[in-house]
Amino acid sequence: MLVEFELISRAREGDDSAYSQIVQAYRKRILGTIARLIGRPEDVEDVGQEVFLRLYFSLDQLRTPEVFEPWLYRVTVNAAYDYLRRHRRRREARMADLSEKQVMMADAAAGSRRQEAEQQHKRVRELVDSLLGAISEQDRILLSLKEIEGLSLKELAKIYHVNENALKVRLFRARQRVLKAYAGSQAAVAHAGGRE
Amino acid sequence: MFRHDHDAPNERFEAALSHLFAQYREALPDPEPSPDFTPRLWQKIEARQSTNRQVKWLARGFVTAAAAVSLLIGVFLALPQNHVSLFYTTTYLEILAADQGPDDPADVEMVRVEQAVHEPSR
Repeated sequence: MLVEFELISRAREGDDSAYSQIVQAYRKRILGTIARLIGRPEDVEDVGQEVFLRLYFSLDQLRTPEVFEPWLYRVTVNAAYDYLRRHRRRREARMADLSEKQVMMADAAAGSRRQEAEQQHKRVRELVDSLLGAISEQDRILLSLKEIEGLSLKELAKIYHVNENALKVRLFRARQRVLKAYAGSQAAVAHAGGRE
Repeated sequence: MFRHDHDAPNERFEAALSHLFAQYREALPDPEPSPDFTPRLWQKIEARQSTNRQVKWLARGFVTAAAAVSLLIGVFLALPQNHVSLFYTTTYLEILAADQGPDDPADVEMVRVEQAVHEPSR
């Protein structure tokens, strides 16, 4: 926990300065999670504001301060999901573009061995975003929380209010789909590399 | 050349994918919020609160108006109905029956008297 339970209790009772302190403590972490969930840096702050706005108006429904963090993640997940649903990507086009993108990556890699760290990060971001485009928005969020944010099954079960076994099955299926897309992209890279 | 079986992704891909996710985490560190993040948030909160207040005020107004109208209707219905109705309350047959009812015996008698008066003069 980044804040004391007492601060959460005060915010829940309507203390605005306590709420400001909570925002101050959690905003960076939440913005990071949102950035990785939605994959669009330009919209991260807007979604982050929506999260804290929803949190402010729903804080009185929080039963105990102990469950604040799963509650906050739940609000974050819902806001990210709403965003992704509004800005539904053209997954078919993205997947069709994937191999082409990988071919270009392989060409670039062959042309120059020295890569800037930022370029490398950019490529990783593009690749993972493309791969996550192979699954639904809900699964993308679930898989990201598990694989990228590093949340445990227990934490996810608290956020989603479902049992761990159901989550395991869903995660396994989502990961298999992403894995398939990844294997396909790697095959395209290898094929492009072999042409040179 | 690389061979790949789409139905059975192997362990190498599993490990590579996990590594890729870790790289993604590093590639997208938690961003620094803009300096006006919190002030903008409070502006939005206040705007939402203002809207909520207006909606509550309107809802309360509607409830009050509905209660007043209900009260008026109740009072109107409870008052005794002494006035003459603006609408017909009888049927056409009832009106005819009232006008052309059974002959008044007094009228018949008058006719007979008149006849008796005229006969002797003939």
